[in-house]
Amino acid sequence: MAPYVYDQQQMSVWLWAVIRRNGHEKGNEWLAQRWQLHQETATVAQFNQTFTAIPRFTGKHTITITQEEHQLLQEAVPGFFVQGWTLDRLARVWWLLQLAVTDKTIYLDTLDKLFKAAEMNELAALYSALPLLPWPEEWIARTTEGIRSNIGIVQAAIMQQNPYPAQYLPEPAWNQLVMKAIFTEKNIHLITGLDGRANATLALMLTDFAHERWAAGRTVDPLQWRMLTHFTTAANLPDIIRVLQSAVSAEREAAALVCAGSTYAPAKALLLQVPDIAAEIAAGTLTWQSVADKTTRS
Amino acid sequence: MCGIHDLTEKDLQPLPYTPAYLDKIKGMRFFDPHVHMSARTTDDYQAMADAGVVALIEPAFWLGQPRTGIDTFRDYFSSLLGWERFRASQFGIKHYCTIGLNSKEANNEALAEAVMEILPQFIYKEGVVGVGEIGFDDQTPLEEKYYRAQLELAKEAGLPVQIHTPHRDKKRGTQRSMDIALEHGLPPHMIIVDHNNEETVKEVLDRGFWAAFTIYPFTKMGNERMVAIVQQYGSERIMVNSAADWGISDPLAVPKTAALMHESGIDLNDIHLVTYSNAVTAFAQSGQINEDDFNIAGNIDQREKFNGSTILRGGQQPRVDKNTTIIR
Ligand SMILES: [Zn+2]
Repeated sequence: MAPYVYDQQQMSVWLWAVIRRNGHEKGNEWLAQRWQLHQETATVAQFNQTFTAIPRFTGKHTITITQEEHQLLQEAVPGFFVQGWTLDRLARVWWLLQLAVTDKTIYLDTLDKLFKAAEMNELAALYSALPLLPWPEEWIARTTEGIRSNIGIVQAAIMQQNPYPAQYLPEPAWNQLVMKAIFTEKNIHLITGLDGRANATLALMLTDFAHERWAAGRTVDPLQWRMLTHFTTAANLPDIIRVLQSAVSAEREAAALVCAGSTYAPAKALLLQVPDIAAEIAAGTLTWQSVADKTTRS
Repeated sequence: MCGIHDLTEKDLQPLPYTPAYLDKIKGMRFFDPHVHMSARTTDDYQAMADAGVVALIEPAFWLGQPRTGIDTFRDYFSSLLGWERFRASQFGIKHYCTIGLNSKEANNEALAEAVMEILPQFIYKEGVVGVGEIGFDDQTPLEEKYYRAQLELAKEAGLPVQIHTPHRDKKRGTQRSMDIALEHGLPPHMIIVDHNNEETVKEVLDRGFWAAFTIYPFTKMGNERMVAIVQQYGSERIMVNSAADWGISDPLAVPKTAALMHESGIDLNDIHLVTYSNAVTAFAQSGQINEDDFNIAGNIDQREKFNGSTILRGGQQPRVDKNTTIIR
């Protein structure tokens, strides 16, 4: 099997163009020099040192990306998203693509050591690179481990706007990711592949979790109900009804969206109780996006 | 961090009451250049933020329990760069560190060799503002060997050195530390000599080194003595820290000392120099300190987290009202 499952060379060229356009002359020059040196000597020590030193030379400002560039990246690796990244993160991800994949053992060992000695921003860059790394199934255990991190930017790099987890994680790890995102107050609307990976076990975990929250007198993120859309059952219908009757408008809207998307007749019938909201859904003015905009968490 | 908080603006506001000493230093900003936050609780971060500490340096040191393997050193260095930095950012405090092999553990030669091997991997990381804290404890030959080796590392990396001076035979230990640093070609302005007292300060200043004072009950300096030192020597190249760790110590030592100085009639400009800007100047020689980061430490993380976020202070921890018996 080929190491990369997409056109890595082309991706590398595109990312380099985005870096150059966002970087200043000195930083670009330094990166080009390091690249040249890497081509000539290819030592792991130098590779690692460059990876670590990148922010000192590129700076850490947020990049801008044109619609055209965004389109190109999306077509090459669907869901791959660099908007809002800092330049050092982008440069580090690009740099990772420069490591030779001729020997799989050496490659995996090098990355393993980079992960082990990484500080927060390095970890965020490494996890952001997941959708671009070779031998994709080799990173499943590492990603599962990363979800256990307590550091916000590391969690976010894995959970949000990253297509890798939805594509490769087995169901228990995926469910863990979603639950951890909710626990750590992430905007779960930004989890890539949320609808496609919804499942009955997760639906059960989410309703149990809601019961715990309610018992403690706490609120529940309205967006979490989205994952019940295709898993509404007689068992969780009372929960949907409770949310539909909430005093909080975002919760009522979320419950109505679940009912509207459900194929379970008793759930669908609930829409009759909220004709105003149902009309907004039918008109397309009320969507999960609009609920997310209303309730955005970090 | 255990569970979801529904944060409102109110939860992020400072406490409604203020301890008396905080009144005297209202609006001042502090930089504690030596504090072992790994040994402290999250409540301490909150109290420090309330008292005006905007940035700090956590030197690598001895954990109380001797380490037996290189992996625990690696994990410790990583936690200074990761978890601790994140914890601090939740309170808007910018966390830097110095990395080094402490003097006590330099006496385990096999382990010291292994640590020397991984140090280059860490001293170039973001936010590493020096090699430290290194120097003498018992003044053994092995301590000297690894002190010298680390001075060479610092020189090569262009980093300042944070020197721990010994409790026993302090005066001679301090002199020796300075002599050796000069021998290795490190200029005095790159060396911060820590844990000074009335006996050591004159020579350290006369020779052009930075003189740091640790306000630490019983074993090091009290802050009344510190006031007298600033009255005698002025504010040039002098800085104050708490060195708060797992011992009986006080993470608010810097703001409290500033309050006492203010009460004692020391000029505000001098207070600012010894509790903030001298430390910034000394460690900024690493090229790793940007004062613009101090106010927005939390926001930077937030921007990295999420594109175009409308949330201004995400990642911040909610406040707990400790004056009530009810815990929610
Ligand atoms: Zn110390």
